[in-house]
Amino acid sequence: MRIMKILSGLILLAAFESCSSVVLKPADFLWPIESVLKVDNKGYIEEPRYSIIVKVKTLFFEEFADSNNFTGKEIRMIRDKNGYCYMTGKDFKNVYVFFPVEGGFKLYEKILISEDKGLSNPAFNQKSPYIELIDGKNKYLLQHKGIVR
Amino acid sequence: MIKNKFSILLVLFTAFILNQTVSAQSDYDKTQNFKNRYKQLEEAVKNAASLDECNVISENIATLKEKFTGDIPLLDKSLYPDNFESSFSRIERALEIRKGDFNQIVGLRTEVGSLKDKVSEISQTNAGLLVQIKQLNIKSTKDAQTIASLQKLVSQLKANIAQRDELVRGIVDSLLEQFVKSPNTLNEAEKQAIFKKVDNGNLFFNIERTISDNIQYMKVTQITPDDLSKMKVQYKDFNKVWRQIGPKLSAVYLDKKDKSMQIANIDNMFGDWNSRIDDEMWGQINKLFREKKLAVLPFKSGDQFYNSVNSFIDDEIKNLNVKSSTESKNTFYVFTDSVYFKTIQPVWIPILIENKMMSTANKDSIEKRIGIWKQKVAPAKNNIIYIVLGAVIFILIVLLILNIRKKKVIIVQEPPKPE
Repeated sequence: MRIMKILSGLILLAAFESCSSVVLKPADFLWPIESVLKVDNKGYIEEPRYSIIVKVKTLFFEEFADSNNFTGKEIRMIRDKNGYCYMTGKDFKNVYVFFPVEGGFKLYEKILISEDKGLSNPAFNQKSPYIELIDGKNKYLLQHKGIVR
Repeated sequence: MIKNKFSILLVLFTAFILNQTVSAQSDYDKTQNFKNRYKQLEEAVKNAASLDECNVISENIATLKEKFTGDIPLLDKSLYPDNFESSFSRIERALEIRKGDFNQIVGLRTEVGSLKDKVSEISQTNAGLLVQIKQLNIKSTKDAQTIASLQKLVSQLKANIAQRDELVRGIVDSLLEQFVKSPNTLNEAEKQAIFKKVDNGNLFFNIERTISDNIQYMKVTQITPDDLSKMKVQYKDFNKVWRQIGPKLSAVYLDKKDKSMQIANIDNMFGDWNSRIDDEMWGQINKLFREKKLAVLPFKSGDQFYNSVNSFIDDEIKNLNVKSSTESKNTFYVFTDSVYFKTIQPVWIPILIENKMMSTANKDSIEKRIGIWKQKVAPAKNNIIYIVLGAVIFILIVLLILNIRKKKVIIVQEPPKPE
């Protein structure tokens, strides 16, 4: 009788668990090419193809410690297979990896590319499962956790 | 020797490194490069000015396609909502349509060419006919044969002018169609097509010729009101089309002075044509009064006609006591019965009103005045006499009837019987 009670409890728990965490897998979020998006005077960028609008004012503060100098600047953005968004721009020293959360993007990783000088002409290429960052002659293979090569 | 080999190897190595560097191209740049070149080709298709240019574009499209074949997977994904193949299908289709336009233009050019030949042939015949008519008109004595041949020539000329006008209208209409297709600013290719059409059809010359022949025709022949009415309709119709294409042609030929002048000249000729028709109409109406020796002041417009006729009537009314009654009556009946109500009102006034050369209100006002004039020339008292006479006759008839009835009653009454 006792064993029966324990078993039914376990079954109920398993059923409850499976209901609360339904995951649809696999999913592919990759963008075939990066998007080059101009920041408007309110600090927003808009990607019409994927219907994404995001405020990047905080990103500029994070990178340059200045959240006022963003109007007209370009943000290069790409998304990998797993859904991580990579953002950088001219004069940035870092590549920012974000993951979508409710109503926003949460910083997952800040990848330092160059300590001394900002990127002069950065561009992302989709090299699934990685993201390639090129800057003039330099090429970096990135993953959401950091530089792979 | 070894040093040399080393140098060669160094060069090759550098070239390899450079090549690696060059090939480190952003996918975004590649896509943008493709998009820009594609856009340039699209523009080129739109602005192509000839079939040859289309063929060159076709080659460029093939080159672009070949150059980016290696990037098809990337472009397929990045050209959303298009893909590599659909993008090329689209531009190739646009090019085919453009080529079709040029083939059509070549066809039209041939058609216009043949029209042009016909037009010049008719124009030549017309010139000959006009000379012959003038010569026959000059002849002092016109026998039946001369009159018959004159009539024949005039009707031939009339038919020829109508036929030639129709041909020229055909050219103008096809041009108008082109402007309607491109209502806004024309691109270079469309402009070139118009230049060609105008030149091939010798359009400006032919419009000038059409107008001047119509004017000449009016000068050398006796034109009926019906002819003039038709001519006015033709003028209005042609002028309406010219008003539509004239300003557009002026814009197209903005930097070609001679053509701009020709367009301005055609504008003036249309004005001249219209005033000639109007003059002819008013001239014929004036003539109607002159022929009957009615001293109506000459007029050249609806308002002048209205004023002249009214002042004539007013003068006649004023002069009633000055002139003899017979003379006044005679003038009145000639004016009304032989001129106004015989020809002007039934024939000319509908034409004048239809062509907005006279208002209905003016017509009504003239006729009201004629009514007043009639009252004065033939006063209403005569009518009263007739009415009184009629009444007397009626009363007499009634009395007669009553009298007859009374007699009948007497006859019916029996005499009293003797006792």
